[in-house]
Amino acid sequence: MSNAVLAGRALAKTYLSGDRRIAVLREVSLEVAAGESVSIRGESGSGKSTLLNLLSGLDAPDSGTIEWGGAAPAVDRRAKFLGMVFQSFYLIPELNAEQNVLMAARMVRTPTAAARARTKELLARVGLAERATHLPAQLSGGERQRVAVARALLNSPQLLLADEPTGNLDEQTGNAVVELLLELCRESRTALVLVTHNAAHAQKTSRGLFLHEGVLR
Amino acid sequence: MPWYFYLALKQLFPTGRKFPFFTAISVMGVALGVGVLVIVTSVMGGFGYELRRMIVQTDGEVQVKSRAIMDDAPGMLRTVRAIPGVVGATPYVAGPVMVLANGHPAFPMFRGLDLETVEGVANLGRFIRIGRLQDLDDDAVILSTEVAQQLGATPGDSIEIYSPLLIEKLKSDEIFLPRRFKVVGLFEIGHQHLDSTTIYGTIRAAQELYGLGQGAHGINVRLQPGVTEDEAVVRLNRVLPPGTQAFSWMQSWESFLWVLNLEKTINFFLLLFIVIIAAFSVMSSLLISVVRKTREIGLLGALGAKPREVALCFCVQAFIIGTTGTAIGVGLGFGVLAIRNHLVHGIAGFLNREDTLKQFYQFTNLPAHTELSDLVFTVVAAIVISTLAGLLPAWRAARLKPVEALRSE
Ligand SMILES: Nc1ncnc2c1ncn2[C@@H]1O[C@H](COP(=O)(O)OP(=O)(O)O)[C@@H](O)[C@H]1O
Ligand SMILES: [Mg+2]
Repeated sequence: MSNAVLAGRALAKTYLSGDRRIAVLREVSLEVAAGESVSIRGESGSGKSTLLNLLSGLDAPDSGTIEWGGAAPAVDRRAKFLGMVFQSFYLIPELNAEQNVLMAARMVRTPTAAARARTKELLARVGLAERATHLPAQLSGGERQRVAVARALLNSPQLLLADEPTGNLDEQTGNAVVELLLELCRESRTALVLVTHNAAHAQKTSRGLFLHEGVLR
Repeated sequence: MPWYFYLALKQLFPTGRKFPFFTAISVMGVALGVGVLVIVTSVMGGFGYELRRMIVQTDGEVQVKSRAIMDDAPGMLRTVRAIPGVVGATPYVAGPVMVLANGHPAFPMFRGLDLETVEGVANLGRFIRIGRLQDLDDDAVILSTEVAQQLGATPGDSIEIYSPLLIEKLKSDEIFLPRRFKVVGLFEIGHQHLDSTTIYGTIRAAQELYGLGQGAHGINVRLQPGVTEDEAVVRLNRVLPPGTQAFSWMQSWESFLWVLNLEKTINFFLLLFIVIIAAFSVMSSLLISVVRKTREIGLLGALGAKPREVALCFCVQAFIIGTTGTAIGVGLGFGVLAIRNHLVHGIAGFLNREDTLKQFYQFTNLPAHTELSDLVFTVVAAIVISTLAGLLPAWRAARLKPVEALRSE
């Protein structure tokens, strides 16, 4: 047993497309230590999202094992253990920024005063203190992604998985969001796995990996 | 509050939106169904209840009847009065007669009342529109407004009454003249059946018309509040001589009450379909919502939601729509019931059909009585049916795999 926050060993995933079998992941192994930041790059369709879905426990690998802090992934642990950020921000349209962030806390239990205070703090930290009561529809893309980042970090997870978080943002906004992501993870010693197309963003992480033909290098 | 409850509320009543239009439509569907159910069961229940009120206030809760004539009416009265739970008893004679006035005939029931004891059983005074019960004597009658109308008679007029006895006498070639009575008052009970067929006189006059001597046809009995009719009937029948029996008003009107109840039950189940249809609309709007929110459902999975909780989120929405709709429906129903007479008379007046209404309707005012059991059944049925409507959407939502939901465009 290693003391890695996240460990994936010999992960394989094959999709059936019509009568063709596409081996998206052949044998992927990955360890992420506490507080470490790792970037994963790869062509579109190379299986980056597939890999993140396996690591996040949302999908099961055909073979191989995954450990979250040394134990098997479990639905009950998800909300506290990891946060996720996606290319599409996936905010709940009926809830305002603050309520969206607080949703992460609700998954664990009825929000405490501390959780509410941390929501305010995080919103301020991502520069949205003034927009807390705005609905997603009233926010720009960059602002929405910052709300999503705050939501992902609310429960102080050990791990943050970000799947092309800047894919829907213009370059400048994207840069700002990645800066923010790295900074917040560094501050709270949250391990980060960042899937990105952007070489400059990848440079900023402590380790850069490539996914190519089902293998991670 | 668990997150799925919170989110269910927020999806129905989104933050920052003043009026939740889509929710309102689903809620209104349920509310209309429940409203109609409340109104119809209450009005149907009202017929039974009004009937009870009228019968009990004219005839008492229990009647003691003999197969033959009750010869010793005073003795029988003493027996009946001695039964615990009986607070009043009055003998009566009742039978069909022919009435002539101003050349118009009518064939009502003549009910002979014992003026000394009748007030202890019946509350006839409240039905009398003109005159007073005390004005009755052996040569006077009080007519129902219906009979008075048929005869064209008004108080102060004189009428002639022919009894069946007179016809018997006629067969044996005896001459027996009709008896003259003076009209001293008019009454109106409000039930077409009772009104069109009754005239009141004294028991002595009736005994004379029927040649009964001191006999009576039966005894009307009033019970102490809280004593049930069935209890009293059992107690009475234990002491009554053979050939004489006590009946509760429900037994006397059993078939009519049974039909009333059957009508109510059938109506209830037919109208329940409005609620069922409303539930289908709740189901379809929730199904649309599941499809529309596929990606958000995926996100909930990514945030750590379990499929069971996702399902609950949609069930709770159906439940909230159901309870809100039911609450509004009950309010709506009672609101309409409160103004029902204005509505009925307004519509009848508008169509110039007030007379038709009176002729064919059993009561001059639309009765309504809400049985608690009917109300509870309506409320429970509506909430259960609407909540069931959430099961299919909930199942669809729970079955969504977060990965696929998040991938969907
Ligand atoms: N549910 C699925 N069914 C069939 N094929 C899939 C499914 N999910 C992903 N794929 C295929 O797997 C490959 C990798 O997809 P993905 O992991 O989304 O790539 P990336 O995120 O690197 O762009 C693609 O060719 C995609 O078409
Ligand atoms: Mg992808």
